[in-house]
Amino acid sequence: MTFLVDLAVVTVSCLALGLASKYLRQAAIPAYIIAGIILGKSGGFNLITSYDFVEWLGKIGVILLMFYIGYEFNFKGIREPGRLFAGCTDFGVNFIAGFSLGLVIGLSLIEALILASAVYISSSAIAISSLIENKRLIYPEAETVVWLMVFEDIILAILLVVLTSIMSGSFAIITILVCLAVTLLLIVFILTLIRKLSNFISPLFERDDEIPILLTFALIFGFSSLAYLLGILLQALALHLGISLQCHISEVIVAFFLGSALSGVKSFKKPFGAIISFKNLFLTIFFFSFGMMFQFQFATLSSTYFVLALLALITISILGKFVSGAIIGKRLHGSLETGLRVGAYTTPRGEFSIVLLAVVIGTGPGISELLSSLVVAYVIILSIVGSVFAKHGDRIGKAIMVGINKLLPPAR
Amino acid sequence: MRISELPEIGTKYEIESPKGDKVAVIFLATGEIELYVLEAGAEQPSVTRLTSEEARRVGSVLTGAMLTIEREDVEVSFSEISDLRINIHICPVTKRMVGKSIEDLGIRKRTGVTIIALSRKGRSIISPPPETVFEEGDLIVAIGEREQIKVCAREILGQV
Repeated sequence: MTFLVDLAVVTVSCLALGLASKYLRQAAIPAYIIAGIILGKSGGFNLITSYDFVEWLGKIGVILLMFYIGYEFNFKGIREPGRLFAGCTDFGVNFIAGFSLGLVIGLSLIEALILASAVYISSSAIAISSLIENKRLIYPEAETVVWLMVFEDIILAILLVVLTSIMSGSFAIITILVCLAVTLLLIVFILTLIRKLSNFISPLFERDDEIPILLTFALIFGFSSLAYLLGILLQALALHLGISLQCHISEVIVAFFLGSALSGVKSFKKPFGAIISFKNLFLTIFFFSFGMMFQFQFATLSSTYFVLALLALITISILGKFVSGAIIGKRLHGSLETGLRVGAYTTPRGEFSIVLLAVVIGTGPGISELLSSLVVAYVIILSIVGSVFAKHGDRIGKAIMVGINKLLPPAR
Repeated sequence: MRISELPEIGTKYEIESPKGDKVAVIFLATGEIELYVLEAGAEQPSVTRLTSEEARRVGSVLTGAMLTIEREDVEVSFSEISDLRINIHICPVTKRMVGKSIEDLGIRKRTGVTIIALSRKGRSIISPPPETVFEEGDLIVAIGEREQIKVCAREILGQV
Protein backbone atom coordinates (compact mmCIF):
# COMPACT_ATOMS: atom_id res chain seq x y z
CA MET A 1 0.00 0.00 0.00
CA THR A 2 3.00 2.27 -0.27
CA PHE A 3 1.49 3.96 -3.32
CA LEU A 4 -1.19 5.38 -1.03
CA VAL A 5 1.51 6.87 1.17
CA ASP A 6 3.21 8.34 -1.90
CA LEU A 7 -0.05 9.83 -3.07
CA ALA A 8 -0.72 11.25 0.38
CA VAL A 9 2.74 12.85 0.51
CA VAL A 10 2.25 14.43 -2.91
CA THR A 11 -1.29 15.69 -2.44
CA VAL A 12 -0.94 16.87 1.16
CA SER A 13 2.34 18.72 0.58
CA CYS A 14 1.10 20.29 -2.65
CA LEU A 15 -2.16 21.27 -0.99
CA ALA A 16 -0.35 22.95 1.89
CA LEU A 17 2.17 24.79 -0.28
CA GLY A 18 -0.44 25.57 -2.91
CA LEU A 19 -2.73 27.12 -0.30
CA ALA A 20 0.16 29.08 1.15
CA SER A 21 1.14 30.48 -2.25
CA LYS A 22 -2.45 31.43 -3.09
CA TYR A 23 -2.69 33.12 0.28
CA LEU A 24 0.51 35.05 -0.47
CA ARG A 25 -0.87 35.78 -3.96
CA GLN A 26 2.06 34.04 -5.56
CA ALA A 27 2.24 31.59 -8.43
CA ALA A 28 1.74 28.04 -7.18
CA ILE A 29 3.93 26.26 -9.76
CA PRO A 30 7.29 26.93 -8.05
CA ALA A 31 5.74 25.84 -4.75
CA TYR A 32 4.89 22.41 -6.19
CA ILE A 33 8.37 22.02 -7.69
CA ILE A 34 9.97 23.00 -4.39
CA ALA A 35 7.75 20.47 -2.58
CA GLY A 36 9.14 17.80 -4.91
CA ILE A 37 12.73 18.93 -4.40
CA ILE A 38 12.41 18.91 -0.61
CA LEU A 39 10.38 15.73 -0.12
CA GLY A 40 11.56 13.72 -3.11
CA LYS A 41 14.66 11.84 -4.01
CA SER A 42 17.88 13.70 -3.85
CA GLY A 43 19.18 15.78 -1.03
CA GLY A 44 15.75 15.95 0.55
CA PHE A 45 13.57 14.00 2.96
CA ASN A 46 13.24 11.10 0.54
CA LEU A 47 9.63 10.39 1.47
CA ILE A 48 8.60 8.92 -1.87
CA THR A 49 9.00 5.16 -2.20
CA SER A 50 7.96 4.65 -5.83
CA TYR A 51 9.40 7.37 -8.03
CA ASP A 52 8.13 5.65 -11.16
CA PHE A 53 4.55 5.73 -9.96
CA VAL A 54 4.58 9.45 -9.18
CA GLU A 55 6.43 10.16 -12.42
CA TRP A 56 3.85 8.23 -14.46
CA LEU A 57 1.02 10.21 -12.93
CA GLY A 58 2.94 13.39 -13.71
CA LYS A 59 3.35 12.32 -17.34
CA ILE A 60 -0.42 11.98 -17.60
CA GLY A 61 -0.59 15.57 -16.38
CA VAL A 62 1.63 16.77 -19.23
CA ILE A 63 -0.40 14.84 -21.79
CA LEU A 64 -3.63 16.32 -20.43
CA LEU A 65 -2.14 19.83 -20.41
CA MET A 66 -1.21 19.57 -24.08
CA PHE A 67 -4.61 18.07 -24.86
CA TYR A 68 -6.24 21.02 -23.10
CA ILE A 69 -4.15 23.57 -25.00
CA GLY A 70 -4.91 21.84 -28.28
CA TYR A 71 -8.63 21.91 -27.54
CA GLU A 72 -8.62 25.60 -26.58
CA PHE A 73 -6.42 26.59 -29.49
CA ASN A 74 -8.09 29.08 -31.79
CA PHE A 75 -6.71 28.65 -35.31
CA LYS A 76 -9.05 31.24 -36.80
CA GLY A 77 -8.44 34.14 -34.42
CA ILE A 78 -4.66 33.93 -34.52
CA ARG A 79 -4.55 34.65 -38.25
CA GLU A 80 -5.31 38.34 -37.74
CA PRO A 81 -2.25 40.31 -38.97
CA GLY A 82 -1.81 42.34 -35.76
CA ARG A 83 -1.77 39.20 -33.64
CA LEU A 84 0.63 37.46 -36.00
CA PHE A 85 2.94 40.47 -35.89
CA ALA A 86 2.88 40.50 -32.08
CA GLY A 87 3.50 36.76 -31.89
CA CYS A 88 6.40 36.81 -34.34
CA THR A 89 8.04 39.78 -32.61
CA ASP A 90 7.75 38.05 -29.25
CA PHE A 91 9.24 34.87 -30.70
CA GLY A 92 11.99 36.59 -32.68
CA VAL A 93 13.32 38.80 -29.91
CA ASN A 94 13.15 36.34 -27.02
CA PHE A 95 14.12 33.15 -28.81
CA ILE A 96 17.20 34.78 -30.34
CA ALA A 97 18.12 36.36 -26.99
CA GLY A 98 17.89 33.00 -25.21
CA PHE A 99 19.72 31.15 -27.98
CA SER A 100 22.63 33.58 -28.07
CA LEU A 101 23.01 33.55 -24.31
CA GLY A 102 22.96 29.73 -24.35
CA LEU A 103 25.88 29.68 -26.80
CA VAL A 104 27.75 32.33 -24.80
CA ILE A 105 27.55 30.31 -21.57
CA GLY A 106 28.91 27.29 -23.40
CA LEU A 107 25.90 25.09 -24.06
CA SER A 108 25.73 22.78 -27.08
CA LEU A 109 23.61 23.79 -30.07
CA ILE A 110 20.62 21.64 -29.09
CA GLU A 111 20.88 22.76 -25.46
CA ALA A 112 20.92 26.39 -26.58
CA LEU A 113 17.76 25.70 -28.61
CA ILE A 114 16.08 24.19 -25.56
CA LEU A 115 17.16 27.12 -23.41
CA ALA A 116 15.88 29.57 -26.04
CA SER A 117 12.49 27.81 -26.03
CA ALA A 118 12.30 27.92 -22.24
CA VAL A 119 13.21 31.61 -22.28
CA TYR A 120 10.71 32.45 -25.01
CA ILE A 121 7.60 30.82 -23.56
CA SER A 122 5.78 32.86 -20.94
CA SER A 123 3.43 31.32 -18.42
CA SER A 124 -0.13 31.63 -19.73
CA ALA A 125 -1.50 30.56 -16.37
CA ILE A 126 0.25 33.35 -14.44
CA ALA A 127 -0.26 36.03 -17.12
CA ILE A 128 -3.96 35.34 -17.55
CA SER A 129 -4.84 35.02 -13.87
CA SER A 130 -2.93 38.22 -13.15
CA LEU A 131 -4.86 40.07 -15.89
CA ILE A 132 -8.13 39.02 -14.26
CA GLU A 133 -7.05 39.59 -10.64
CA ASN A 134 -5.50 42.97 -11.33
CA LYS A 135 -8.52 44.19 -13.27
CA ARG A 136 -6.76 44.75 -16.56
CA LEU A 137 -9.32 43.18 -18.88
CA ILE A 138 -10.84 46.51 -19.99
CA TYR A 139 -7.51 47.73 -21.39
CA PRO A 140 -6.62 47.00 -25.01
CA GLU A 141 -3.30 45.39 -24.10
CA ALA A 142 -5.12 42.59 -22.26
CA GLU A 143 -6.29 41.31 -25.63
CA THR A 144 -2.79 41.54 -27.06
CA VAL A 145 -1.34 39.58 -24.13
CA VAL A 146 -3.99 36.87 -24.36
CA TRP A 147 -3.40 36.38 -28.07
CA LEU A 148 0.35 36.34 -27.50
CA MET A 149 -0.26 33.40 -25.19
CA VAL A 150 -2.26 31.65 -27.91
CA PHE A 151 0.53 32.25 -30.40
CA GLU A 152 3.05 30.84 -27.95
CA ASP A 153 0.94 27.68 -27.66
CA ILE A 154 1.26 26.86 -31.35
CA ILE A 155 4.99 27.70 -31.31
CA LEU A 156 5.33 25.39 -28.30
CA ALA A 157 3.72 22.58 -30.30
CA ILE A 158 6.05 23.22 -33.24
CA LEU A 159 9.12 23.48 -30.99
CA LEU A 160 8.20 20.19 -29.31
CA VAL A 161 7.88 18.42 -32.67
CA VAL A 162 11.23 19.82 -33.84
CA LEU A 163 13.16 19.37 -30.60
CA THR A 164 11.96 15.83 -29.91
CA SER A 165 12.73 14.88 -33.51
CA ILE A 166 16.25 16.28 -33.21
CA MET A 167 16.79 14.59 -29.85
CA SER A 168 15.49 11.18 -30.84
CA GLY A 169 17.10 11.39 -34.26
CA SER A 170 20.45 11.53 -32.49
CA PHE A 171 21.35 14.68 -34.39
CA ALA A 172 21.62 12.96 -37.81
CA ILE A 173 19.77 14.85 -40.53
CA ILE A 174 18.18 11.80 -42.17
CA THR A 175 16.79 10.33 -38.96
CA ILE A 176 15.56 13.73 -37.83
CA LEU A 177 13.68 14.11 -41.10
CA VAL A 178 12.22 10.61 -40.80
CA CYS A 179 11.03 11.34 -37.26
CA LEU A 180 9.53 14.63 -38.37
CA ALA A 181 7.76 13.03 -41.33
CA VAL A 182 6.32 10.21 -39.23
CA THR A 183 5.12 12.67 -36.59
CA LEU A 184 3.44 14.86 -39.20
CA LEU A 185 1.83 11.83 -40.85
CA LEU A 186 0.44 10.67 -37.51
CA ILE A 187 -0.96 14.16 -36.87
CA VAL A 188 -2.70 14.24 -40.25
CA PHE A 189 -4.02 10.72 -39.60
CA ILE A 190 -5.52 11.76 -36.24
CA LEU A 191 -7.09 14.94 -37.63
CA THR A 192 -8.75 13.15 -40.55
CA LEU A 193 -9.81 10.14 -38.47
CA ILE A 194 -11.56 12.27 -35.87
CA ARG A 195 -13.26 14.31 -38.59
CA LYS A 196 -14.46 11.14 -40.35
CA LEU A 197 -15.64 9.55 -37.10
CA SER A 198 -17.20 12.67 -35.64
CA ASN A 199 -20.75 11.63 -36.58
CA PHE A 200 -20.22 8.33 -34.82
CA ILE A 201 -18.53 9.57 -31.63
CA SER A 202 -20.52 12.77 -31.22
CA PRO A 203 -23.62 11.10 -29.69
CA LEU A 204 -21.38 9.06 -27.36
CA PHE A 205 -20.13 12.26 -25.71
CA GLU A 206 -23.71 13.29 -24.93
CA ARG A 207 -24.44 10.33 -22.69
CA ASP A 208 -24.91 10.80 -18.95
CA ASP A 209 -22.95 7.76 -17.80
CA GLU A 210 -19.23 7.01 -17.67
CA ILE A 211 -18.96 6.51 -21.45
CA PRO A 212 -17.97 10.10 -22.43
CA ILE A 213 -15.01 10.30 -20.03
CA LEU A 214 -13.97 6.73 -20.84
CA LEU A 215 -14.06 7.49 -24.54
CA THR A 216 -12.00 10.64 -24.02
CA PHE A 217 -9.29 8.83 -22.09
CA ALA A 218 -9.41 5.91 -24.53
CA LEU A 219 -8.70 8.36 -27.35
CA ILE A 220 -5.94 10.15 -25.43
CA PHE A 221 -4.17 7.02 -24.23
CA GLY A 222 -4.87 5.15 -27.44
CA PHE A 223 -3.25 7.70 -29.69
CA SER A 224 -0.41 8.41 -27.23
CA SER A 225 0.52 4.74 -27.17
CA LEU A 226 0.10 4.58 -30.94
CA ALA A 227 2.82 7.23 -31.15
CA TYR A 228 5.02 5.15 -28.88
CA LEU A 229 4.38 1.88 -30.73
CA LEU A 230 4.95 3.52 -34.08
CA GLY A 231 8.38 4.63 -32.87
CA ILE A 232 9.26 1.06 -31.86
CA LEU A 233 7.87 -0.38 -35.10
CA LEU A 234 9.95 2.04 -37.12
CA GLN A 235 13.03 1.13 -35.17
CA ALA A 236 12.47 -2.59 -35.74
CA LEU A 237 11.76 -2.01 -39.42
CA ALA A 238 14.96 -0.05 -39.83
CA LEU A 239 16.92 -2.71 -37.97
CA HIS A 240 15.49 -5.28 -40.40
CA LEU A 241 16.88 -3.19 -43.24
CA GLY A 242 20.18 -2.96 -41.47
CA ILE A 243 19.89 0.69 -40.42
CA SER A 244 20.06 1.91 -36.90
CA LEU A 245 17.17 4.32 -36.42
CA GLN A 246 16.02 5.78 -33.14
CA CYS A 247 12.65 7.41 -33.53
CA HIS A 248 10.60 8.73 -30.68
CA ILE A 249 7.31 10.32 -31.57
CA SER A 250 6.25 12.67 -28.83
CA GLU A 251 3.01 11.59 -27.20
CA VAL A 252 2.33 15.12 -25.96
CA ILE A 253 2.26 16.41 -29.54
CA VAL A 254 -0.26 13.72 -30.38
CA ALA A 255 -2.34 14.84 -27.40
CA PHE A 256 -2.20 18.46 -28.59
CA PHE A 257 -3.55 17.64 -32.03
CA LEU A 258 -6.11 15.19 -30.66
CA GLY A 259 -7.39 18.03 -28.51
CA SER A 260 -7.62 20.40 -31.45
CA ALA A 261 -9.36 17.70 -33.52
CA LEU A 262 -11.92 17.14 -30.75
CA SER A 263 -12.64 20.87 -30.49
CA GLY A 264 -14.42 20.37 -33.82
CA VAL A 265 -16.81 17.89 -32.18
CA LYS A 266 -19.51 20.02 -30.56
CA SER A 267 -20.77 17.55 -28.00
CA PHE A 268 -17.26 17.12 -26.56
CA LYS A 269 -17.84 20.28 -24.51
CA LYS A 270 -19.52 18.14 -21.86
CA PRO A 271 -16.70 15.74 -20.89
CA PHE A 272 -14.13 18.51 -21.42
CA GLY A 273 -15.03 20.07 -18.06
CA ALA A 274 -14.05 16.84 -16.33
CA ILE A 275 -10.81 16.69 -18.32
CA ILE A 276 -9.86 20.11 -16.95
CA SER A 277 -10.20 18.79 -13.38
CA PHE A 278 -8.05 15.76 -14.20
CA LYS A 279 -5.50 18.03 -15.87
CA ASN A 280 -5.28 20.26 -12.79
CA LEU A 281 -4.69 17.30 -10.48
CA PHE A 282 -2.16 15.43 -12.60
CA LEU A 283 -0.29 18.56 -13.65
CA THR A 284 0.28 19.39 -9.98
CA ILE A 285 1.69 15.90 -9.53
CA PHE A 286 3.87 16.54 -12.58
CA PHE A 287 5.43 19.65 -11.03
CA PHE A 288 6.06 17.69 -7.84
CA SER A 289 7.58 14.77 -9.75
CA PHE A 290 9.72 17.15 -11.77
CA GLY A 291 11.12 18.66 -8.59
CA MET A 292 11.56 15.14 -7.21
CA MET A 293 13.54 13.81 -10.15
CA PHE A 294 15.57 16.93 -10.43
CA GLN A 295 19.10 16.38 -9.17
CA PHE A 296 19.33 19.65 -7.39
CA GLN A 297 22.91 19.94 -6.39
CA PHE A 298 23.66 22.71 -4.00
CA ALA A 299 27.27 22.47 -5.08
CA THR A 300 26.40 23.58 -8.62
CA LEU A 301 24.09 26.19 -7.27
CA SER A 302 26.86 27.83 -5.30
CA SER A 303 29.40 27.83 -8.12
CA THR A 304 30.14 31.32 -9.37
CA TYR A 305 29.79 30.25 -12.98
CA PHE A 306 26.28 28.91 -12.41
CA VAL A 307 25.16 31.97 -10.47
CA LEU A 308 26.50 34.32 -13.14
CA ALA A 309 24.85 32.33 -15.92
CA LEU A 310 21.56 32.33 -14.03
CA LEU A 311 21.72 36.06 -13.37
CA ALA A 312 22.52 36.77 -17.02
CA LEU A 313 19.68 34.52 -18.10
CA ILE A 314 17.18 36.26 -15.83
CA THR A 315 18.29 39.73 -16.91
CA ILE A 316 18.16 38.84 -20.61
CA SER A 317 14.72 37.23 -20.22
CA ILE A 318 13.20 40.23 -18.49
CA LEU A 319 14.80 42.70 -20.91
CA GLY A 320 13.75 40.56 -23.89
CA LYS A 321 10.08 40.63 -22.96
CA PHE A 322 10.15 44.39 -22.38
CA VAL A 323 11.83 44.98 -25.74
CA SER A 324 9.38 42.76 -27.63
CA GLY A 325 6.52 44.29 -25.64
CA ALA A 326 7.67 47.81 -26.52
CA ILE A 327 7.84 46.98 -30.24
CA ILE A 328 4.39 45.36 -30.13
CA GLY A 329 2.90 48.26 -28.16
CA LYS A 330 4.32 50.88 -30.50
CA ARG A 331 3.01 49.06 -33.57
CA LEU A 332 -0.39 47.82 -32.35
CA HIS A 333 -1.41 50.44 -29.82
CA GLY A 334 0.75 53.37 -30.87
CA SER A 335 2.01 53.67 -27.31
CA LEU A 336 5.34 52.69 -25.83
CA GLU A 337 3.89 52.63 -22.32
CA THR A 338 1.19 50.13 -23.30
CA GLY A 339 3.93 48.02 -24.82
CA LEU A 340 5.95 48.09 -21.62
CA ARG A 341 2.88 46.85 -19.78
CA VAL A 342 2.61 44.00 -22.30
CA GLY A 343 6.24 43.24 -21.46
CA ALA A 344 5.52 43.19 -17.74
CA TYR A 345 2.52 40.85 -18.12
CA THR A 346 4.48 38.38 -20.25
CA THR A 347 7.54 38.31 -17.96
CA PRO A 348 6.46 35.34 -15.80
CA ARG A 349 7.72 31.98 -17.05
CA GLY A 350 6.32 28.76 -15.71
CA GLU A 351 4.55 25.58 -16.70
CA PHE A 352 5.52 25.52 -20.38
CA SER A 353 9.25 26.01 -19.84
CA ILE A 354 9.23 23.09 -17.41
CA VAL A 355 7.01 20.90 -19.59
CA LEU A 356 9.20 21.54 -22.61
CA LEU A 357 12.36 20.64 -20.73
CA ALA A 358 10.80 17.50 -19.23
CA VAL A 359 9.47 16.27 -22.58
CA VAL A 360 12.76 16.87 -24.37
CA ILE A 361 14.80 15.24 -21.61
CA GLY A 362 12.42 12.28 -21.71
CA THR A 363 13.12 11.80 -25.42
CA GLY A 364 16.77 10.96 -25.21
CA PRO A 365 20.11 11.47 -23.54
CA GLY A 366 22.50 14.30 -24.23
CA ILE A 367 21.16 17.05 -22.01
CA SER A 368 23.64 18.24 -19.42
CA GLU A 369 22.69 18.65 -15.81
CA LEU A 370 23.81 22.25 -16.06
CA LEU A 371 20.98 23.05 -18.46
CA SER A 372 18.25 21.38 -16.40
CA SER A 373 19.48 22.94 -13.15
CA LEU A 374 19.65 26.29 -14.87
CA VAL A 375 16.13 26.06 -16.28
CA VAL A 376 14.58 24.86 -13.01
CA ALA A 377 16.22 27.60 -10.94
CA TYR A 378 15.30 30.06 -13.68
CA VAL A 379 11.62 29.09 -13.75
CA ILE A 380 11.32 29.15 -9.97
CA ILE A 381 12.78 32.65 -9.81
CA LEU A 382 11.04 34.08 -12.87
CA SER A 383 7.63 32.74 -11.92
CA ILE A 384 7.90 34.58 -8.61
CA VAL A 385 9.54 37.75 -9.95
CA GLY A 386 7.31 37.63 -13.02
CA SER A 387 4.13 37.55 -10.92
CA VAL A 388 5.27 40.69 -9.15
CA PHE A 389 6.01 42.32 -12.50
CA ALA A 390 2.62 41.30 -13.87
CA LYS A 391 0.90 42.59 -10.75
CA HIS A 392 2.50 46.03 -10.96
CA GLY A 393 2.60 46.19 -14.76
CA ASP A 394 1.06 49.67 -14.94
CA ARG A 395 3.43 51.13 -12.36
CA ILE A 396 6.47 49.54 -13.98
CA GLY A 397 5.39 50.86 -17.38
CA LYS A 398 4.99 54.34 -15.95
CA ALA A 399 8.31 54.24 -14.09
CA ILE A 400 10.20 53.18 -17.23
CA MET A 401 8.47 55.92 -19.22
CA VAL A 402 9.57 58.51 -16.64
CA GLY A 403 13.11 57.18 -16.95
CA ILE A 404 13.05 57.27 -20.74
CA ASN A 405 11.68 60.81 -20.80
CA LYS A 406 14.43 61.94 -18.45
CA LEU A 407 17.14 60.37 -20.57
CA LEU A 408 15.69 61.44 -23.89
CA PRO A 409 13.81 64.71 -23.47
CA PRO A 410 10.99 64.78 -26.03
CA ALA A 411 11.84 66.84 -29.12
CA ARG A 412 9.96 70.08 -29.40
CA MET B 1 -19.93 48.27 -29.47
CA ARG B 2 -16.82 46.19 -29.86
CA ILE B 3 -16.94 42.45 -29.33
CA SER B 4 -13.69 40.61 -28.88
CA GLU B 5 -12.74 37.12 -27.94
CA LEU B 6 -10.24 36.53 -25.15
CA PRO B 7 -9.12 32.91 -25.37
CA GLU B 8 -9.11 31.06 -22.03
CA ILE B 9 -10.86 34.06 -20.42
CA GLY B 10 -14.12 34.63 -22.25
CA THR B 11 -15.80 37.21 -24.46
CA LYS B 12 -15.54 40.96 -24.03
CA TYR B 13 -18.22 43.50 -25.01
CA GLU B 14 -16.98 47.05 -24.89
CA ILE B 15 -18.68 50.41 -25.25
CA GLU B 16 -17.03 53.82 -25.19
CA SER B 17 -19.14 56.89 -24.51
CA PRO B 18 -18.47 60.17 -26.37
CA LYS B 19 -16.99 61.47 -23.10
CA GLY B 20 -14.39 58.72 -23.17
CA ASP B 21 -15.85 56.61 -20.39
CA LYS B 22 -15.59 52.93 -21.07
CA VAL B 23 -17.86 50.11 -20.02
CA ALA B 24 -16.91 46.51 -20.64
CA VAL B 25 -18.88 43.36 -19.95
CA ILE B 26 -16.86 40.17 -19.88
CA PHE B 27 -18.52 36.79 -20.00
CA LEU B 28 -15.97 34.59 -18.27
CA ALA B 29 -15.47 30.99 -19.27
CA THR B 30 -16.54 30.09 -15.70
CA GLY B 31 -20.06 31.38 -16.42
CA GLU B 32 -19.73 34.47 -14.28
CA ILE B 33 -19.86 37.98 -15.68
CA GLU B 34 -17.49 40.83 -14.92
CA LEU B 35 -18.64 44.41 -15.31
CA TYR B 36 -15.90 46.98 -15.84
CA VAL B 37 -16.40 50.73 -15.68
CA LEU B 38 -13.47 52.98 -16.54
CA GLU B 39 -14.12 56.70 -16.29
CA ALA B 40 -12.18 58.83 -18.75
CA GLY B 41 -8.87 59.76 -17.15
CA ALA B 42 -9.27 57.38 -14.21
CA GLU B 43 -6.27 55.38 -13.06
CA GLN B 44 -8.08 52.20 -12.16
CA PRO B 45 -11.33 50.70 -13.42
CA SER B 46 -14.09 49.60 -11.07
CA VAL B 47 -14.95 45.97 -11.43
CA THR B 48 -17.67 43.78 -10.07
CA ARG B 49 -18.24 40.12 -10.66
CA LEU B 50 -21.83 39.01 -11.06
CA THR B 51 -23.54 35.65 -11.24
CA SER B 52 -25.63 35.15 -14.36
CA GLU B 53 -28.79 35.71 -12.31
CA GLU B 54 -27.52 39.04 -10.97
CA ALA B 55 -26.35 40.06 -14.41
CA ARG B 56 -29.81 39.38 -15.82
CA ARG B 57 -31.35 41.64 -13.18
CA VAL B 58 -28.90 44.44 -13.88
CA GLY B 59 -29.54 43.93 -17.55
CA SER B 60 -33.30 44.26 -17.23
CA VAL B 61 -32.90 47.44 -15.21
CA LEU B 62 -30.63 48.86 -17.90
CA THR B 63 -33.01 48.01 -20.71
CA GLY B 64 -35.78 49.77 -18.78
CA ALA B 65 -37.93 46.65 -18.56
CA MET B 66 -38.47 47.13 -14.84
CA LEU B 67 -39.70 50.72 -15.20
CA THR B 68 -42.25 50.14 -17.92
CA ILE B 69 -44.34 47.28 -16.61
CA GLU B 70 -47.30 48.06 -18.74
CA ARG B 71 -47.90 44.60 -20.02
CA GLU B 72 -45.71 41.72 -19.15
CA ASP B 73 -45.82 37.99 -19.29
CA VAL B 74 -43.89 36.07 -16.67
CA GLU B 75 -43.49 32.36 -16.82
CA VAL B 76 -42.95 30.74 -13.44
CA SER B 77 -41.47 27.27 -13.25
CA PHE B 78 -40.80 25.25 -10.13
CA SER B 79 -37.65 23.34 -9.44
CA GLU B 80 -39.57 20.50 -7.79
CA ILE B 81 -42.14 19.97 -10.54
CA SER B 82 -40.19 20.36 -13.72
CA ASP B 83 -43.07 20.25 -16.20
CA LEU B 84 -45.34 22.67 -14.35
CA ARG B 85 -45.16 26.15 -15.83
CA ILE B 86 -47.56 28.93 -14.99
CA ASN B 87 -48.00 31.95 -17.20
CA ILE B 88 -48.62 35.10 -15.25
CA HIS B 89 -49.98 38.02 -17.18
CA ILE B 90 -49.75 41.59 -15.96
CA CYS B 91 -51.73 44.37 -17.67
CA PRO B 92 -53.43 47.67 -16.86
CA VAL B 93 -57.21 47.88 -16.70
CA THR B 94 -58.72 49.18 -19.95
CA LYS B 95 -61.47 51.87 -20.23
CA ARG B 96 -64.23 49.39 -21.00
CA MET B 97 -63.58 47.50 -17.76
CA VAL B 98 -63.64 50.47 -15.38
CA GLY B 99 -66.70 50.45 -13.10
CA LYS B 100 -67.47 46.80 -13.72
CA SER B 101 -66.77 43.91 -11.36
CA ILE B 102 -64.94 40.68 -12.13
CA GLU B 103 -68.30 38.89 -11.96
CA ASP B 104 -69.97 41.40 -14.31
CA LEU B 105 -67.33 40.81 -16.91
CA GLY B 106 -67.47 37.02 -16.43
CA ILE B 107 -63.74 36.73 -16.89
CA ARG B 108 -63.40 33.22 -15.52
CA LYS B 109 -66.59 31.97 -17.21
CA ARG B 110 -65.78 33.40 -20.64
CA THR B 111 -62.05 32.88 -20.84
CA GLY B 112 -60.87 30.54 -18.08
CA VAL B 113 -58.43 33.14 -16.84
CA THR B 114 -58.27 33.79 -13.11
CA ILE B 115 -57.46 37.18 -11.61
CA ILE B 116 -55.12 36.48 -8.71
CA ALA B 117 -54.19 40.00 -7.65
CA LEU B 118 -54.85 43.67 -8.24
CA SER B 119 -52.48 46.54 -7.75
CA ARG B 120 -54.36 49.70 -6.89
CA LYS B 121 -52.58 52.97 -6.10
CA GLY B 122 -49.56 51.18 -4.78
CA ARG B 123 -51.54 48.75 -2.60
CA SER B 124 -52.12 45.20 -3.60
CA ILE B 125 -55.28 43.16 -3.28
CA ILE B 126 -54.50 39.45 -3.27
CA SER B 127 -57.24 37.12 -4.64
CA PRO B 128 -59.85 39.82 -5.14
CA PRO B 129 -63.47 38.58 -4.60
CA PRO B 130 -65.76 38.39 -7.71
CA GLU B 131 -67.61 41.56 -6.73
CA THR B 132 -64.44 43.69 -6.83
CA VAL B 133 -65.01 46.66 -9.12
CA PHE B 134 -62.15 47.78 -11.37
CA GLU B 135 -60.94 51.36 -11.12
CA GLU B 136 -58.94 53.40 -13.51
CA GLY B 137 -55.19 52.84 -13.08
CA ASP B 138 -55.53 49.32 -11.66
CA LEU B 139 -52.96 46.75 -12.69
CA ILE B 140 -54.31 43.23 -12.89
CA VAL B 141 -52.35 40.06 -12.42
CA ALA B 142 -53.90 37.02 -14.06
CA ILE B 143 -52.97 33.40 -14.59
CA GLY B 144 -54.01 31.07 -17.36
CA GLU B 145 -52.89 29.11 -20.36
CA ARG B 146 -51.27 31.08 -23.11
CA GLU B 147 -54.36 30.64 -25.31
CA GLN B 148 -56.73 31.66 -22.54
CA ILE B 149 -54.70 34.79 -21.87
CA LYS B 150 -54.99 35.64 -25.56
CA VAL B 151 -58.76 35.23 -25.49
CA CYS B 152 -58.96 37.35 -22.35
CA ALA B 153 -56.92 40.10 -23.91
CA ARG B 154 -59.27 40.15 -26.92
CA GLU B 155 -62.67 39.64 -25.28
CA ILE B 156 -62.30 41.38 -21.94
CA LEU B 157 -59.56 43.94 -22.34
CA GLY B 158 -60.57 44.72 -25.90
CA GLN B 159 -57.04 44.49 -27.19
CA VAL B 160 -56.33 43.10 -30.62
